[in-house]
Amino acid sequence: MSLLEERRRGLTDPAMAAQIMAEIPDQPLDTQRKMGYYVQPRGKRLTEYEIMTCYTQPTPDWISGGLDWGDWTQKFHGGRSSWGNETTELLSSDWHLHRDPAARWHPVYVKAKGEDWRVLQRFMETFSAEGALRTIDPVWRDEILPKHLGALGYSEYGLFNAHSSVLRDCTGDTLRSTFAFAAFDKVDNSQMTQLVRTFIHKMMPGYDDSPAIGKKEWTEGAAYKSARETVETMWQETYDWNEVMFAVHMIYDPLFGQLVRREFFQRLSPAYGDSLTPFVIAGVQTYFQTTKAAMADIYHHCLDNDKNHGGFNRRWMHVWMEKWLPKTVAAMAEFMSVYATLPAREGFTDNASIAASVNRVVEDWIVDYANKIDYKVDQSAMVATIMAGLK
Amino acid sequence: MAISLATNAATDALALNRAPTSVGAQEVHKWMQDFNWDFKNNRTKYPTKYLMANDTKEQFKLIAKEYARMESVKDERQFGSLQDALTRMNAGNRVAPKWGETMKVVSNFLEVGEYNAIAASAMLWDSASAPEQKNGYLGQVMDEIRHTHQCGYVNYYFSKYFHDPAGHTDARRVRTLGPLWKGMKRVFADGFISGDAVECSINLQLVGEACFTNPLIVAVTEWASANGDEVTPTVFLSIETDELRHMANGYQTVVSIAHDPAAAKYLNTDLNNAFWTQQKYFTPVLGMLFEYGSKFKVEPWVKTWNRWVYEDWGGIWIGRLGKYGVQSPASLKDAKKDAYWAHHDLFLLAYAVWPTGFFRLALPSKEDADWFEANYPGWYDHYGKIYEEWRARGCEDPSSGFIPLQWFVENNHEIYIDRVSQVPFCPSLTKGASSLRIHEYNGKKHAFSDEWGERMWLSEPERYECQNVFEQYAGRELSEVIAELWGVRSDGVTLIGQPHVTKEGKLWTLDDIKRANCVFKDPLA
Ligand SMILES: [Fe+2]
Ligand SMILES: [Fe+2]
Repeated sequence: MSLLEERRRGLTDPAMAAQIMAEIPDQPLDTQRKMGYYVQPRGKRLTEYEIMTCYTQPTPDWISGGLDWGDWTQKFHGGRSSWGNETTELLSSDWHLHRDPAARWHPVYVKAKGEDWRVLQRFMETFSAEGALRTIDPVWRDEILPKHLGALGYSEYGLFNAHSSVLRDCTGDTLRSTFAFAAFDKVDNSQMTQLVRTFIHKMMPGYDDSPAIGKKEWTEGAAYKSARETVETMWQETYDWNEVMFAVHMIYDPLFGQLVRREFFQRLSPAYGDSLTPFVIAGVQTYFQTTKAAMADIYHHCLDNDKNHGGFNRRWMHVWMEKWLPKTVAAMAEFMSVYATLPAREGFTDNASIAASVNRVVEDWIVDYANKIDYKVDQSAMVATIMAGLK
Repeated sequence: MAISLATNAATDALALNRAPTSVGAQEVHKWMQDFNWDFKNNRTKYPTKYLMANDTKEQFKLIAKEYARMESVKDERQFGSLQDALTRMNAGNRVAPKWGETMKVVSNFLEVGEYNAIAASAMLWDSASAPEQKNGYLGQVMDEIRHTHQCGYVNYYFSKYFHDPAGHTDARRVRTLGPLWKGMKRVFADGFISGDAVECSINLQLVGEACFTNPLIVAVTEWASANGDEVTPTVFLSIETDELRHMANGYQTVVSIAHDPAAAKYLNTDLNNAFWTQQKYFTPVLGMLFEYGSKFKVEPWVKTWNRWVYEDWGGIWIGRLGKYGVQSPASLKDAKKDAYWAHHDLFLLAYAVWPTGFFRLALPSKEDADWFEANYPGWYDHYGKIYEEWRARGCEDPSSGFIPLQWFVENNHEIYIDRVSQVPFCPSLTKGASSLRIHEYNGKKHAFSDEWGERMWLSEPERYECQNVFEQYAGRELSEVIAELWGVRSDGVTLIGQPHVTKEGKLWTLDDIKRANCVFKDPLA
């Protein structure tokens, strides 16, 4: 880089610049200046997100939508393809069809998260200066947060890891960035659950912020047995990248994740004087909503509606529902046992309030996920199964 | 539950001190290594013959939000320069024509490497068991998405402002036409993602990034700036700031397997293969792009190569890994020989098939020729004379109907493509070390140009059977293939590739090519 400083530059050195200018034609050699002019825009015109992302995946034409021809130049030991159609059961007429409704390419994504970080840091300074920790119920602070916000961190961390093989194997570029951003949000979420407890520790030095308590709860506690096993299965035993993403983002996270994040922490924190956790979870929920819209585009708009393979894909998605929904419902039912450990609060911890919570999650999920692919679910039966876990 | 002692103590402390405080990234990161848990099937989906240690740490200790903040600051600077000062100076157009053409290839081919590195780092994140090591690879996943978009942005910027946008606008579609594409995929795409995960890490991080990223990203900025291009340095130097993390990741990969007995057995062979794979393509291609794709020269490629590849990488970087049993690759000496003539050999072929490019090429000018002869004595007698002959036969002018590829046919100079590297070579015309070897496998003939690639083939032919452009289009007439693979400009007839960059020169059309009647032929058929 130092060499660069010493060297004469063609743009600013008058003699060099003159020689360059002399070679430049008066008129451009082509009138088409739109990069990616051959890309099908989702909206009226191509967005910068589409221009930067579309067709960066160099797949051959025998993987739908690919622009290259021929074979891979190096394969796995034994001859398996670099990327291949055999890595998923779903079929697509074009793996480049997906568009993230939030049109996120890298700078857009990091700008938003960087801003979230700055806002969060300003919030923490204010929160500590206000002494706002004083209003938090000690049981909530010393028991519930270490155990259950801690355990949520492990759930999020496991889901994060379920994305690694997906990012290796998926066959589209817009898919890859959507999955990567979803993954990054998940590891961020797990770090944020740690941040809440570390922040409390900084205001209250005797407070134990090690993740050990949450880890014990997650790995040994009865409340998380099914959740943990489900996450482990998504992470390390499922090879089909669409199945992994469908199980994580179309079943487990909008059900179990929403129950724990929105209905447990977000709804209950005010009852225990906690204004810190909801602030952090609110950020997590923003990511959830953005991801939800992107995943709906992949699994509903693109794959379920695929002009050639929609029916076939729907059958597979139903098969995955049969496989992952019971596990998720079991995880939710087991989580119900946590409510019994809470100090009672009228309007928050009574059975009717909890049932309303569960109903909200299940109903949202049926409307936004199950109905979209015509998967029949009996809401009251599902709620009853979950509520049966209440101690 | 009773109020704990800690709570009492803290409540007292709060009463005394409500100083504003927050939590730094490091304070969260220090717990990262505990985010994992053990379970029965906790193993990777991408097996490796090495064992990565459970306690491997990372050097860049970032959490997601801090990563985002840092990258976003870099983005602000980069986009600020591009969209403000450089645009007002019309910097996207005031670039030496030859160099603006070179950037069509450099930026797009680098983009492919970046894109594949996303998948490669994801595979490593899957393979590692230590959360910190996973986190390091994750950071790289995100960086490589950034770099993919940044490389795309360079082409995007030139599409808007450079005087010849064709090729910048559509490189992702037309690039598969040329004979340099498949070789690029070997080193920068499949080589990163298809194989033993650690082998891929060696390809990507230990060789691709630690060895060739420097010449590729840093040297490109020097050549760019000399040739009036301040767009590329603005973007590429910003990319380079992330690359340190990637080299650190490569280092940590080696550290994580150092105590595994398999490392003693396989690591140096894998490193040697990776080095040869990468150098086989990059040594000639980078040298060619710099020296033949520029108006103003920075320094002879052989010098750059010796400094960065041979001394810095082969000596210092690999030396630092010596304590883990890593040795300088045995093929380094042979590569050093390639670094002198191989790029000259390649340009001869690249120019001969200029219609398959998505960029304009130019014959060496008088000034270029003098520079070549001064820096590579003997250049004129071997190469210079051939270019003079081609020029005399009107190879730049469409009315001549002469494409230098015909000269190869007339003179019985057969062009082959090395199966393992996919790099073209002409055994009867090479001044570099290439020599022809042919093997039969699966009822098909395969050509090779060197011993190291031949060895890789002989031990695992099933990994490298990819057909080349000559086989794929054998029997097809050139203009037909160009049209099929989108090698024309927006008027539908003029080629994107051209054999000159002069203002006065005429542009070739599909009809001009058709008149030359060149037909793709597989020399092994
Ligand atoms: Fe990169
Ligand atoms: Fe990199």
